[in-house]
Amino acid sequence: MGRLPLLFVSLTAFAVLLLAGAAAAQEDETCLSCHAAEGLVLTLPSRESLPVTIDPKIFKQSVHGSVLTCATCHPNNTQYPHPKVAAKTLRDYKVARAEICRTCHSDVAKEFAGSIHGRALVMGFPDVPSCTSCHGAHDVVQASTPAFRNNTPQLCGTCHGDPRIMAKYGLRPVYEAYIREFHGVTTTLYKLTKPYSPTPAAICYDCHGVHNIKDTNDPAALVAAGNILTTCRKCHPTAGRLFASAWTEHATPGPQASPLVYYVQVFYRLLIPSVLGFLVMLSVLDLGRWAGDRLKGLRG
Amino acid sequence: MNRRSRGPTVQRFTLAQRVEHFFLILSFNILAFTGLPQKYFYTGWAERIIRLMGGIETTRLIHRTFAVLLILQSLYHIGAVLAARRAGRERGAMGLGFTDFRNVLLDMAYLAGLRREKPSFGRYDYRQKFEYWAVVWGTAIMATTGLIMWFPELLARLVPGVLVPAARVAHGGEAILAIVAVIIWHFYNAHFRPDIFPMDPAMFTGRMEVERLRHEHAEEYVRLMETGDLVPEAVSPPEVEPARPATPSPSEDQNSSS
Repeated sequence: MGRLPLLFVSLTAFAVLLLAGAAAAQEDETCLSCHAAEGLVLTLPSRESLPVTIDPKIFKQSVHGSVLTCATCHPNNTQYPHPKVAAKTLRDYKVARAEICRTCHSDVAKEFAGSIHGRALVMGFPDVPSCTSCHGAHDVVQASTPAFRNNTPQLCGTCHGDPRIMAKYGLRPVYEAYIREFHGVTTTLYKLTKPYSPTPAAICYDCHGVHNIKDTNDPAALVAAGNILTTCRKCHPTAGRLFASAWTEHATPGPQASPLVYYVQVFYRLLIPSVLGFLVMLSVLDLGRWAGDRLKGLRG
Repeated sequence: MNRRSRGPTVQRFTLAQRVEHFFLILSFNILAFTGLPQKYFYTGWAERIIRLMGGIETTRLIHRTFAVLLILQSLYHIGAVLAARRAGRERGAMGLGFTDFRNVLLDMAYLAGLRREKPSFGRYDYRQKFEYWAVVWGTAIMATTGLIMWFPELLARLVPGVLVPAARVAHGGEAILAIVAVIIWHFYNAHFRPDIFPMDPAMFTGRMEVERLRHEHAEEYVRLMETGDLVPEAVSPPEVEPARPATPSPSEDQNSSS
């Protein structure tokens, strides 16, 4: 009997040494024994509900799936019952969770803190993205994949295409205009027809930066008047000095914004229906005359 | 319908002109087929066509290849016209004048039944002349705006870059105008007109029956009769250069060859 605990301990130690990964998996299994159940939600004091169901498959396929365990990001929840969630709202919860990302991604977090999004986040604006807004939580994918690149305009567009959100910050929704621009067309077509090839056309972060995005009015912004040509030349190295004026600033052409483009548009909007109408009229007249003559027996 | 019967014929187009027309059909159709899905990229059919061609890069490559073909062809055309002029031959009969605009109104009045007589047309009637100049105008616009979009970096060394988005709008607008004009105007006049349906063979055989010429291009008929280029009784052999006038006048030109 005396030797049995020793055997047990040494066997356990052996298992831990050899199968550390398996042990971690075992630990995750414990969490998933509850959290894999569908429809688990936590109701916050704000009455918002936070879904806490985890799909183990999705997590396994995520970029963190093979390197992190549940406890890496949720160290306070290793015991049951879990400590009470301190956040009052969903927003507070998400902002607080971003702190966890910082433990590993400190360089990115530092960059982000100086960006327009990072600064606005600290100021407490409710729509500003934090880490999980763009990268997801348990489904984080490699940001360097073609799929992620080709989908970036849609990702940014969830806010920057929404007039309601943009109006709060005195911004214009730019997503639609981008999609109709030359770059946007190419990107859209890559996403649709070549999802495994990264679009060669500029997408949001190529010009605005990634975690270091600045206010476009900030002279330090990559798209500020003093920097934009340099930014263009990242992809168009031979661009002439007047090249940047090709840029219509995601604005729909109008009498004020890009008047030349606007008036060309107007010209064709008038010309096409006029020509069309004239040609149809002549053809109908011709057909009518033919039919009339035939009825009168003037033609064979 | 004895218009298309085997009566005596006159030459309307030289072989070189018909080859030009063939290349125009080829480049126009391929440019439209590869260009429209780029304009309407957000639609399902555009996606399918671009997928069919192996992605947007290949689509653009095909589009630009045939654009180069069309540009080369246009340069050839300009060269041929200039060469003909220099040699003292009046090649065109395509020049627009006051009479053409007058003929539009007269013809409309005739077609509407307000006039008894159809206006008499020269070698080319106003429909053909307008279409010719529409192709000239359209190709000039498409080539210019297309090259601007193809080489924006180079362009912006010389002129403001705002021409690039403007060129893109013009390229799309002009394309729709050209396609619509061809579908309505050209298809009606060269294919669907009841008396020539399913197609006017003149551009492919190069010849037209004298009888039809007399009806549809009365002035040209009279002119050819006067110069003696047209012998109504003669049944012209299909491809051989027909009888020439006695004087060694500019007769190689399609204008005066019978």
